[in-house]
Amino acid sequence: MSWAWDNRALLAHYLVQHLYLALLPVLFGTIVAVPVGIMCVRYRWTWPPILSLTSIFYALPSIALFVVLIDYTGLTDWTVIIPLTLFSLSVLIPNVVDGLRSVPPPVRQAADAMGFGSLRRVIRVELPLAVPVIIAGLRVATVSSISLVSVGQLIGIGGLGYFFIDGVQRDFPTEIYTALILILILALLADTLLVLLRRWLTPWEAGRRVRPGSRILTATWRGSSAGDAV
Amino acid sequence: MKRTIQDAVYVNPRPERAGDGERSPGTMDADDERGHALITFESVTKRYPGGTVAVDDLNLEIPDGQTMVLVGPSGCGKTTTLRMINRLIDPSEGRILLDGRDVAQTEASQLRRGIGYVIQQSGLFPHRTIEDNIATVPLLNGWPKARARNRARELMDLVGLDPAMTRRYPYQLSGGQQQRVGVARALAADPPVLLMDEPFSAVDPIVRASLQDELIRLQAELHKTVVLVTHDVEEAIKVGDQVAVFYPHGKIAQIDRPEHLLGSPVDDYVENFLGFDRGIRRLGFFPASGLDLETETVLSEDATIEKARQAAKRAGESWVLVTDEHRLPRGWAALSELETRDGQETLRHLTQAPYGHTFRVGQDSLRAALDATILSPTGLAVGVDDQGRAVGITSYERLRAAIQAAEETADGQGARPS
Repeated sequence: MSWAWDNRALLAHYLVQHLYLALLPVLFGTIVAVPVGIMCVRYRWTWPPILSLTSIFYALPSIALFVVLIDYTGLTDWTVIIPLTLFSLSVLIPNVVDGLRSVPPPVRQAADAMGFGSLRRVIRVELPLAVPVIIAGLRVATVSSISLVSVGQLIGIGGLGYFFIDGVQRDFPTEIYTALILILILALLADTLLVLLRRWLTPWEAGRRVRPGSRILTATWRGSSAGDAV
Repeated sequence: MKRTIQDAVYVNPRPERAGDGERSPGTMDADDERGHALITFESVTKRYPGGTVAVDDLNLEIPDGQTMVLVGPSGCGKTTTLRMINRLIDPSEGRILLDGRDVAQTEASQLRRGIGYVIQQSGLFPHRTIEDNIATVPLLNGWPKARARNRARELMDLVGLDPAMTRRYPYQLSGGQQQRVGVARALAADPPVLLMDEPFSAVDPIVRASLQDELIRLQAELHKTVVLVTHDVEEAIKVGDQVAVFYPHGKIAQIDRPEHLLGSPVDDYVENFLGFDRGIRRLGFFPASGLDLETETVLSEDATIEKARQAAKRAGESWVLVTDEHRLPRGWAALSELETRDGQETLRHLTQAPYGHTFRVGQDSLRAALDATILSPTGLAVGVDDQGRAVGITSYERLRAAIQAAEETADGQGARPS
């Protein structure tokens, strides 16, 4: 404990870096996944190739990507952020697509019949209704991303992952445990915030349980296995 | 025990129409416009890729301010027909005119904002409060939020929704309430046309009946041009001013007023589709006020047995109806019993058979009167006024005469050409 206190400045520095490296990819992933998801629902033929692409992103080992990217982005944060963004996309795009598809057909039909244009229908009706499923995906992507950042330490950019390598090299477990606990706290905190965000965005869901869509389960499974793989 | 007037079996939902099949006079300023077609289908065909013909060379005129019901088995093209009006489906051939203008010439979402639409599962937006659901089209039309919400509250009142529901979400409402919201939403921008796609089929029969009554009430007030699709022939006959019966494959078998449809179906298909007791159902369109009621055998319980005996004999009836001093029915007294008793006693002390179901003379139909007669232990039924006071008595003979007279009047008007 005293070690943590003595090194609080160093811990804080890496904690901030960790957060930044973990959350930027999720943010970028969301910005890209929403329009791509909308496109996949609207133009059905685009969905199979994009689904294959997300599976490839998902399967790509981060380490291999680091090595390839180093030639282009050097030892900068981007070398970590880009692979993590691709990973987020592999979780988020299928969730956006499933979320949009979970809108009950009568609701979509009613929106058409009321005279929503097709873009307006997506933004005002389908997207809000997809929020619970999209946030389920965001939770998986965020928690995975927080856990995956540490791998970046292999090229020297890994947030709290620094203490894992350092702890092993110096044979000093306290350092490893401290970083591990901090990462877990970060993950839990981020997850809780997302749950609160969902409640705030979806007051109409207050009285009923969120239906567990099959894809959410898939996403959870994929996410946790990715975490384990690291 | 004592039956109240609410117990009457058949309550004609549309008594004012029962007479001549028209709406009550004086309530409609659009009276002169009746018959003017607001929606016209001109040789419309809808063919799907693969060759399925959903609608086959359809010609149909839907008159302004009336309720046109499209009825038929599933897959008969009735829903396709409905959806072509607001361009949810575009026809393969032919054109559809709305107030003289080809609907294909108006941009689809613009067109739809001018046409109310109610669908089966209500299709409410789960993420919007009741008031915002209802305000949907006004908001799309760019109304300020406050004004749109005011309008929403007016409509909640119109369709009989509790103002406490204003801020609730759809999942907090029952199926019937949701369907009322669906109707309110469709009416929000005050469109001249209301399309209803199986609007009441997802609710239980009791709620369905009350929603149908509500539609009839609203329509009497608003005079929209309503096009309603259903597979339920009872519903069609109950709510329709005109009913179009579809053959299974996209052609119309018959278009007619419901009472004419029941009276003279054009072929075996329509007759089968209408069901077996169409003759009796048709009586629902003739008012019970056409009955010549026996009044002489209605006697107060203070009357003497001697008086009752004479009244029964004069009228040739074997039962007299005993009432209290307010003319509320109490029961039947048999002539056979009257003859065994002392003539100076009053009717009060006689054993009386229960008087059974009654019918309201001013409001019910001949169907209700017939039903009350069939159910009555004496083969006689009591016609009552709005307060439940006995007006007179009907028998099978009197019913037969009234039915015959009603048929003659209906024939005199001539069956409408389809």
